[in-house]
Amino acid sequence: MFKNYFKTTFRNLWKNKGYSFLNIGGLAIGIACAGLIFLWVEDELTFNHYFSNRDNLYKVKDRQTYDGTTFTFDATPGPFAAGIKSEMPGIKNTARTTWGNSVLFSLDDKTIYQQGLYVDSPFLKMFQLQFVKGNATNAFSQLHSIVVSKKMANNFFGTTNVIGKTLKVDNKDEYIISGVIKDLPENVSFKFDWLSPFKIYEDQNQWLQYWGNNGVVTYVETQPNTNVEQINKKLYGYIQTKQKETNAKMSIYPMNRWRMYDSFENGKEIAGRIKYVNLFSLIAWIILIIACINFMNLSTARSEQRAREVGVRKVLGAGKSKLISQFIGESIFTSVLAAILAVGIIYLSLPAFNSLVEKQLSVNVANPYHIGALLLIALICGLVAGSYPAFYLSSFNPVYVLKGIKIKTGGSAGLIRKGLVVLQFSISVVLIISTIIIYQQITHVKDRELGYNKQNLVYMYMQGKMRQHFNVIKNDLQSTGVIENAALSNSQVLQLGSNTGDFTWEGKDPSKQVLITVEGVSPEYTATMGMHLKDGRNFYPDGKTDSSNVIINESLAKILKKKNVLGTIVTQGNTNYTIVGVVKDFVYNNMYASAAPLILFSDTSNCNVLSIRIKAGAQLPAALSKIEAVIKNDNPGYPFDYSFVDQQFDKLFKTETLIGKLASVFSILAIFISCLGLFGLAAYTAEKRIKEIGIRKVLGASVKGLASLLSKEFLLLVAISCLIAFPVALWMMYDWLNGYAYRVKISWTVFALAGVLALLIALLTVSFQAIKAAIANPVKSLRSE
Amino acid sequence: MIKISDLEKIYRTEEVETVALNKLSFNVKEGEFVAVMGPSGCGKSTLLNILGLLDDPDDGSFLFNGIEVAHFNERKRADLRKRNIGFVFQSFNLIDELTVFENVELPLIYLGVKGDERKQRVEKVLDKMQIMHRRNHYPQQLSGGQQQRVAVARAVVNNPKLILADEPTGNLDSSNGNEVMQLLTELNEQGTTIIMVTHSEHDARYSHRIIRMLDGQTVTENILV
Repeated sequence: MFKNYFKTTFRNLWKNKGYSFLNIGGLAIGIACAGLIFLWVEDELTFNHYFSNRDNLYKVKDRQTYDGTTFTFDATPGPFAAGIKSEMPGIKNTARTTWGNSVLFSLDDKTIYQQGLYVDSPFLKMFQLQFVKGNATNAFSQLHSIVVSKKMANNFFGTTNVIGKTLKVDNKDEYIISGVIKDLPENVSFKFDWLSPFKIYEDQNQWLQYWGNNGVVTYVETQPNTNVEQINKKLYGYIQTKQKETNAKMSIYPMNRWRMYDSFENGKEIAGRIKYVNLFSLIAWIILIIACINFMNLSTARSEQRAREVGVRKVLGAGKSKLISQFIGESIFTSVLAAILAVGIIYLSLPAFNSLVEKQLSVNVANPYHIGALLLIALICGLVAGSYPAFYLSSFNPVYVLKGIKIKTGGSAGLIRKGLVVLQFSISVVLIISTIIIYQQITHVKDRELGYNKQNLVYMYMQGKMRQHFNVIKNDLQSTGVIENAALSNSQVLQLGSNTGDFTWEGKDPSKQVLITVEGVSPEYTATMGMHLKDGRNFYPDGKTDSSNVIINESLAKILKKKNVLGTIVTQGNTNYTIVGVVKDFVYNNMYASAAPLILFSDTSNCNVLSIRIKAGAQLPAALSKIEAVIKNDNPGYPFDYSFVDQQFDKLFKTETLIGKLASVFSILAIFISCLGLFGLAAYTAEKRIKEIGIRKVLGASVKGLASLLSKEFLLLVAISCLIAFPVALWMMYDWLNGYAYRVKISWTVFALAGVLALLIALLTVSFQAIKAAIANPVKSLRSE
Repeated sequence: MIKISDLEKIYRTEEVETVALNKLSFNVKEGEFVAVMGPSGCGKSTLLNILGLLDDPDDGSFLFNGIEVAHFNERKRADLRKRNIGFVFQSFNLIDELTVFENVELPLIYLGVKGDERKQRVEKVLDKMQIMHRRNHYPQQLSGGQQQRVAVARAVVNNPKLILADEPTGNLDSSNGNEVMQLLTELNEQGTTIIMVTHSEHDARYSHRIIRMLDGQTVTENILV
């Protein structure tokens, strides 16, 4: 029986090569798209699965409430880890880490910056790092020890046999290599090539020892099957038992949620990346459905050709169920063929897709999950695509079909077919509109007035004695003639790190704390950045004279609610600062929000960033080599490592840009697959009406008239699709944009553009068949009757 | 073998009601060869469809081998049909995508006959119909006469008790037509009951009995043997 079905299926596909190509090709592209998306989804959902102990691993979250709004941080006090380990039952281990340090390592004349962390030794065991050389127990037995990745070991020594060898850190201390671990895969939350004892960092930063300072990340390993809610309940007021007046409420947050969630709004977890994972999974299924619709439509449209076979089989004793299983079997067979083709397409397009999503995804036909998923997709597609045609075809009455009585394809089947085309194009139009609006939003935010000039602005992190020699460096830079100005600051302007709720001033509601960003800068800062003073003055060139003066931003000035804020005193602890200037709001940290309150101090003691303004119109490569010469001369022994602010700015839109790119690729493919189906349907319609076209032509119809007659029906369907798609897209995009404080206005032109685009593409697809039918010689079609 | 009484079939469209069979009654004995004749629209084909269990009557009784089948559901009809009835059509109705062998094999597949036995039986019947040499050809590669021989082969391969032939020679020239009539006669002589609808007096003379119909009723019956 199956052999027989197989034969008819295969011969049918072969006989109608054109339709089979459209069917299998469309389905294959659909499956390939879905396959690529699911590979991405798999990578996202298996994030951190490298850590087999992940079910018991947590990160400590710190919630602080200011003026009714709760902010959620990862920063914790230094003594916190040891405190909870000894006092909280259920906690097996804790480890503190830094936030990620880019440190200069040198061996002879080889100097390389490497990313790494200072960690407490339990970190090595908690995350079950896999040691190639050495072991987790003894790795940190010496203070200046270092565990390196295989990659880093090979970078410096060309081998992993490096235990006992030393590397110079920051041109100062020698660290002794005590272990080599396997390189971490891409899809984990940590990126490091070396780990060293946290004690080194702690010794350099005495402030970490206080309960009131939040400055490190704390990880927790619980005992298996511990009641986490119980732990969190106890943690809630824990800090207050050590430091009464603090605002911080602690809790532990499971590793399994780090990647997909880890976004908080007013202290509550909200969907983070999972939103996009869900969205793209949905898009994958939608593309599959679009491809399945092609299959349904082409199969039912061609039903007349299969009708006689159905009749004969019924007469020979095939029951309806046998026929249904035959046709579903056929469609499963077809979709398996498509799936095989899809594997080829995935292999070919994976490099391009990888560079698009910036991942190293790979497909492995020997991987049972991948094979299983592919077969499952093929099976589902076969069932979905085959079920309607199967029920439709098997319901033919043999008495009629064998008599050659025409089956009414214009009735319910025709209506369903049209409905499905409308569905396909509605989805496509929604995707087009969404893509355009996503791009508009990205451009809108990128083009927003930042409050400073991000072009020609280079920054670098302090190395060696740069801070002490800043004035020399600045003078040397300016004397190159290509540099306008240079300044020091604690952080780079896009990401200002420190904030505090400790400030008070006259007239402030004592029950409310205001979270204010604080940034220490050199006097050249606002000028170098291209920021504008709204009121008052800049810091004097000799920064020390302004050590008790501050500049605030407009946003804070508004909160102070004073007619003239200049001269107002703000107090932190016992120290008073006088406001001498107000800088116009500039955008930092959250590119979509308005600027948060900010205070600039004239204090370079914690400055870590040197910003350099290159003169407008200067040749960048030449300017950079001049900067390099100055830096290397004034601060020898370090590599020249710099970044452009505008490039870093672009990187902030990584997620949005990725979504924009993916949305555009998949909407183009959705349209393409829909058009394959439309092309097939148009061919079928032209074929069916060939006699009518012949007669009309004989009676004097023009080619143009005939072509439009044939195209009109399809264009109407696309027009209806637009009407359905517009409100859906409007609602979806409105909802999406609502997540951004700074957002683009949705314009009707986008809808008009999408509608016209869809109509044009459909017209192009259909008119090919229509014109072909219209210019055919009518003698041929009429003689065949 | 067949006993129909007061059989009624009415086709309704929105405006018109057409009575295809009007209280039709007759019997067919096992081993008989009956020809049904009459002008177009007299109800011959409707009758054949009902006899072949492809269609059900609106009223009346249809006993097949003593069993009332007038109101069998589709599954039961399909089951009875595949075991007992073979069809020969005017337009052959072979499946284009299957070879001669595979077309003839089809009823046996639906009967659930095993592969080896199927091969044996198909070859035997192809041999008998003298189209063994064409077994791997597709229908469109055959002449009309050859196609109808394949169709007859397919109708008899499962040894049906009854063969229903709907103008079996209608699309054939006279020599091919005679060959097909000869085949049917031989089958009848071997014991198969045959009911044949035809317009051709010449073909009708191969039968034992001619039933003439008009407006859904029998008008005369001529016994030829």
